Amino acid sequence: MKTSAAKIGDITDVNWAEKRYLIVDDFVGIRQLLRESLRNIGAKHIDQASSGGEAMTLLARTHYDVVLCDFNLGEGKNGQQVLEECRARNLMIPSSVWLTVSAEKSVESVMGAAEHQPDAYIIKPITEGVLLTRLNRVWHRKQIFREIDRAYIEKDYLRAAKLCDEQIAENKIHELDLLRMKANLLMKAGEPDQARAVYERVLEEREYNWARTGLGKIRMANGDLEAARQMFHNVMTENRYYIDAYDQLAAALLTMGEYEEACAVLESAAKLSPNSVQRQRTLGNTALRVGNIALAEKAFRKSIQVGEYSVFKTVDPYFGLARVCGQKGDIKEALALLAVVRRDFPHDVVELRSKIIEGLVYHESGDYRRARKAGDELEEMLKADPARPDTATCMEMATLLFAVGVKEAPVELLCHVIRNNHDNQLLLDDVQKVFEQARMSEEAEALIASSRREATEVMNKGVLLWKTGKLAEAVEWMREARQRLPDNMRILFNSAQMLISHMQKHGYDEALMMEANSVLMHVDRIAPGQQRFAQLIEQLQQLLPGRGITPAAEDGVF
Amino acid sequence: MEDQERSPELFLFLASTVHDMKNSISVLSGTLENLLVQEQPSPDQAQAWPQMAHMLYQTRRLNDNLMQLLALYKDLGKPTYPFDPRPVQIRELVQQVADQERVLLQSKQIALDTDFDPQLIGTFDEDLVIGVLAHAVNNAVRYTHDRIRLSVEQKDDMLEFRVEDNGAGFPPSMLEAGAAVGKGVNFLTNSSGLGLFFSSEVARMHRHRQRTGSIALENGGKLGGGCFVLRLP
Repeated sequence: MKTSAAKIGDITDVNWAEKRYLIVDDFVGIRQLLRESLRNIGAKHIDQASSGGEAMTLLARTHYDVVLCDFNLGEGKNGQQVLEECRARNLMIPSSVWLTVSAEKSVESVMGAAEHQPDAYIIKPITEGVLLTRLNRVWHRKQIFREIDRAYIEKDYLRAAKLCDEQIAENKIHELDLLRMKANLLMKAGEPDQARAVYERVLEEREYNWARTGLGKIRMANGDLEAARQMFHNVMTENRYYIDAYDQLAAALLTMGEYEEACAVLESAAKLSPNSVQRQRTLGNTALRVGNIALAEKAFRKSIQVGEYSVFKTVDPYFGLARVCGQKGDIKEALALLAVVRRDFPHDVVELRSKIIEGLVYHESGDYRRARKAGDELEEMLKADPARPDTATCMEMATLLFAVGVKEAPVELLCHVIRNNHDNQLLLDDVQKVFEQARMSEEAEALIASSRREATEVMNKGVLLWKTGKLAEAVEWMREARQRLPDNMRILFNSAQMLISHMQKHGYDEALMMEANSVLMHVDRIAPGQQRFAQLIEQLQQLLPGRGITPAAEDGVF
Repeated sequence: MEDQERSPELFLFLASTVHDMKNSISVLSGTLENLLVQEQPSPDQAQAWPQMAHMLYQTRRLNDNLMQLLALYKDLGKPTYPFDPRPVQIRELVQQVADQERVLLQSKQIALDTDFDPQLIGTFDEDLVIGVLAHAVNNAVRYTHDRIRLSVEQKDDMLEFRVEDNGAGFPPSMLEAGAAVGKGVNFLTNSSGLGLFFSSEVARMHRHRQRTGSIALENGGKLGGGCFVLRLP
């Protein structure tokens, strides 16, 4: 078969001439070359930006169909951070195309946050043919993924997975992407066995790191941590630069309580790809935990530095660094950091946490009088407001209060933590340690046992009511249970389950629907990616008027 | 691993060669730029201006290509290159290679024939393979009279890419260098090995079920001249 090179191009009917383009590059010469290339494919509406900040201004004002953004942009945000902020602020419409341009294909430039990947990468120099080929390819891919992405955004993962199957049948070239997406969806939907079948099918064809890492994640989700650890290890041995395997291995080790080893793995990952705000923060926390102050300091500082222009900028590395400074006896910098936090992150919880960290810093540096004063203020705050903060904050607060000699308030806080996490053994071990530091090991055992019992009893009573057919009472009982134990995952899930069952039996009810949805969204906020979450969302979606149960969904087969 | 053993001397060789080449290109592009930014050309110079602008464009491209090559070499040797084999439509691959070489081929009045099954899909690192094939076409420009052929074919579980020309064929020294690549040839004494080494490294990175990619240089082929062959599993 013979074809001429000139004719190969015209395969899609996309009218690239009428689209709106943005070129982001800090070199004027490159911008001119890119504009020339775009003009040659017919483009008429082309804007340009010379920095990340300038790009953000333009992106906030105009919806671009195509963005060509260089990875290295000099001072300020890099190309990846511009993309992340754009996605986080919803400045791009789903059909827009984002092309990351880079002088070389380095690990760093292609290792962005998984959920903020560009649609394609292009290495300089860019010729029109390469540009057009990649644009057409991305466009084609977007058509295929449009419905799937919509279902994904609605967190309707099982419907999205079914849509993947429909597309696989027709689009051979995108089969691999679709299978990868499908496995990911099945994991999110809490169907690890079906996800495993997909990964294994892919691996029969060829060895892909992501598929092997996926199998490891399934082992991890099933609690088979040792096997998961081995699988991530194997991927890393085979490909020393597959960062996701490092992060997953570290997660497995943290769940196993192997903090020293997790710290070492995160340190290697941070060396390979240092510009992740989250990874540096996790490294800092883990290093602080194992007492490697120097490493913790380095990681927190790096996290703050790379987070400066990122949407992932959070308060955590500032608090971490403040604690590091406290342990080094540098009160001045610790307090300066807390002042920055109070100025840059004005929020009630942040105010509370700042107060706790301040107390811990004073205590660890030996200023017991000021530490005590912070403790007293916190005790007053606890008395004034019955609502309790998140688990990590409760633990920190209890630690401080014990340290400054308060007894009742921290015990109450820790019991609250146990009740809300009664089946999380690793956390219960941490609670035990806090008690031990306060020389309360003996009381701890009894307190942990009774708090766990309390949570179990609340749960059992609800389940009993439900099983004996007293659905309305069960729903009401779980409603109260949620008030007492607002962050207990089992109670939240069971509560949602009962609301759904109630509607399945007695028909759709707007108020119950809203209630179930808000319970599930609360779960997703405090612990994203739970297996039961997606299954319950799917059941909830089926209840919506006009969304009948399809035969395939009933069988759970697709 | 063997990559690590031979990388230090390779780096030395690469660093000095590329540094040297980059100096020359910088002078070239700097001179062109200076001439172009001078005041408006006199009427008798006006005709040469667009041509000079094009020369500058080409020089810049050369510079970019060199930097890219260096980056790939550096990364391949280390190896920190994010190797990413995925399914690629051969039709799109050929289109991209042809486009990269279009200006060069047109200016030298060389025709490019392409031959492939438009339905064919291969699994490989697209950017690396484009780099190898574009390099091979560039190289063929030196040997051909007026015609170059780029073909892709599935052959016994391997994907075979051929870049052939209608010139006099490779000299014996090149054929020997091609055969020696991957068998521990000493690159410090053989400057023509640079592109071949790059290509063979790219081939070697592609592995599937105990089979590894390879390259070969031959004479003959459909056009009777030199043939560069890349085989991927």
